[in-house]
Amino acid sequence: MRYLVGVGNYLAGDDAVGPRVVEHVVACGLDRGFVAVDLSTDALSLVAYLNVGTEAVLVVDAAHLGLAPGDFRIFSPDEVETQKELSGLTTHEGDVFKVVELARGAGYPIPPLAVMGIEPCEMGDRMTLSERLEERLPAYAAAAIDHLAGL
Amino acid sequence: MTTTARIRVEHVTRVEGHGNIVVNVTDGVVEKCVWQVPEAPRFFESMVRGRHYSEVARITSRICGICSIGHTLASVKATEDALGIEVSEQSWKLRELIKHAENFDSHVLHINILAAPDLLGAPSVFPLVATHGEVVARALRLKRLGHEWGSLIGGRTTHPMSIVPGGVAEVPTTKALKQLREQLLAAVPDLEATVATVLALAPNVPAFDRPTEYVALSNDKDYGLYDGDIQSLLPDGTKQRYPVAAYKQVTNEFVVPQSTAKYAKNKLDSYAAGALARFNNNYDRLHPEAKQVAEVLGIQPICTNPYMNTVAQAVEIVSDIYESVALIDELIATGVELEPLVEPTRFGSGTGATEAPRGILFHEYGYDAEGMCTGGNCIIPTNQNHNNIQHDFEKLVPELVGQDQSEKEMELALEMLVRSYDPCISCSTHYLDVKFVR
Repeated sequence: MRYLVGVGNYLAGDDAVGPRVVEHVVACGLDRGFVAVDLSTDALSLVAYLNVGTEAVLVVDAAHLGLAPGDFRIFSPDEVETQKELSGLTTHEGDVFKVVELARGAGYPIPPLAVMGIEPCEMGDRMTLSERLEERLPAYAAAAIDHLAGL
Repeated sequence: MTTTARIRVEHVTRVEGHGNIVVNVTDGVVEKCVWQVPEAPRFFESMVRGRHYSEVARITSRICGICSIGHTLASVKATEDALGIEVSEQSWKLRELIKHAENFDSHVLHINILAAPDLLGAPSVFPLVATHGEVVARALRLKRLGHEWGSLIGGRTTHPMSIVPGGVAEVPTTKALKQLREQLLAAVPDLEATVATVLALAPNVPAFDRPTEYVALSNDKDYGLYDGDIQSLLPDGTKQRYPVAAYKQVTNEFVVPQSTAKYAKNKLDSYAAGALARFNNNYDRLHPEAKQVAEVLGIQPICTNPYMNTVAQAVEIVSDIYESVALIDELIATGVELEPLVEPTRFGSGTGATEAPRGILFHEYGYDAEGMCTGGNCIIPTNQNHNNIQHDFEKLVPELVGQDQSEKEMELALEMLVRSYDPCISCSTHYLDVKFVR
C-alpha cells in the first residue's frame, strides 16, 4: 500500500497546505493506487501507516526550506536536520521527523518515506491558504501523485 | 522551609498549548503563585455565524486536534437539539463507539507520552526509547489502535466526517466491526501491561490532596461518556444534577487578569473536570473490568489527589475497550445498515454536551429559519479546569515551601500538577523547519 499523508493545522493559514493537498486529491478523485490520509495535527498517528507491507509514504507538510514562498521540494528525512526546538512530542507541537525517530527507536519498520515540503507564504489564524499556495494546489497534488506513482 | 524561590516556567512542556507558571517565595512567604494562560482567543463562535447547520461541526471540530471527536459530537448534539432531531439507536451506539475511541486514543497519548516521562525521571519520551523501549512500543501500538478505531467509525479520527446532524453518514460493515472487536480484545495484554506500568510508577505520584467539586456528565445507565445530565459532586458526597441546557448555571464563567482564558466555578471556589471527575461521579457505573483495575491501582472515589487524574485515565482506557466490545456485539446482533439522516423539525436554539477526554464539553447554537447559525458558545473542559489548577497551586506551593523543596523540585511538582490535568489549551502550527545536510 502507498500513502499520501497530509499534516498541518487547518486553521493556521499555509500550515494547512498538507491537509488541503489531500482534500484536493480526494475531491478530484485522484486517489487511485494509493490512500490519501488527512492526519491534520495528529502527526503521531503516522505510526498507523508504518507497516512491513507499506510500499511508500509521502508526507505533505508546510516547511521552511529557504525556497521562495509556494515552491516545494520532495526529500528524504535523511537529507535534513530539523531546526525545530521541541520540548516533547504533543499534537500541539512536534513534527513528522520526531515521529519517525520515535517509531524507528521503538522498532517500527520504516518504509520508503519522503516529505513534500512546501514553503509557506503566510502563517496565522486563518481558515484559508494564501493566494499563492491556493492557486498551486493542483500542481502540488500532481507532483505528489507523480512521486508516488514513480516509486 | 524553603526561604526563597523564583519560578518562571514559560511555557510548561508536554501539554497541548501554552501555559506559564510563576511563583515568588521570599523569606518563606509565598508572594506570588499563579497559573497563566497567555494564548489568544480564537473566536470560533464568530466563525460559525452565518454558516449552515451542516457546516458548523466541521468548523468547531477544528477547535482541537485531539478532542475533535468530542467537539464534533457536542456540536452535532447541540445542532440536533436546536433542530428538533432525534437520532436512531444505531447512530447513538456508533457515536458512543467513536467517543470511546477518542477517549482511549487521547489517554494512551497522555499516560505514555506526556505523563510517563515525569514518573520515570525523563525530560521527554525520547530518552525512554533507550531505557523503556517496550513502554514506548506499546504506547505506539495502542495509539495506533485508537487511530484505526476512530477512523473506522468516523472516516478519519482527527476531525471525523461521518458524524453529522441527523445521524451517521457512513457506517462500518459487520465484517469491519468484527475485525475491530478482535483488535480490541487483542489489545488486552497491552492494556494489562500498561496497568502494570502505572502500578509500578504509582509510588512516584505525588501525595497531595485538595478536596474540590467534581463536574461530569452522568446518567443512570452507563458511565456517561457520550451523554447524560451535568452532575456536580462535592467532597462530602453531595450530588446535584442539572440539565445540559442549564450549563451556564454550572460554568459561571468569569475573567481574571492573569489569563486570556475564562475561569469557571460553581458551588465552591473552583471545580474539576476530566477523568478523575468522571471516575468520582460515575464509579458505580464503571465497567466491572475497569473497577477491578481501579482496585489494583488503589484508586477509589472520592479521590481528591489531582495527580491521580492520570491513574483515572488508565482505568478509563480499560472501560473504553470493554464497553466498546459490548457496543459492537449489540450492533452486530441488530445488523448495521446505512440509515437516512433525520431531517430538522424546527429551527431554534439548542445545547449539547459530551465528555471530551479532558472533561465535560458544552456547545450551544442558535439557527434561523434557513438553518443558518446566528450564534454559538463553546466551553471547553480545559478552561473549566484552569481555576482549579490555580487553587491547587495556592494549596500546593505553601506545602512545598514547608517541605523545604528546592526551586527545581517545586518547579517539577507544579509542572507535573499541570500535566496531570492533561490540559489542551490550543492547537498550533505543525510546519517543518529544516536544513539540508545532503
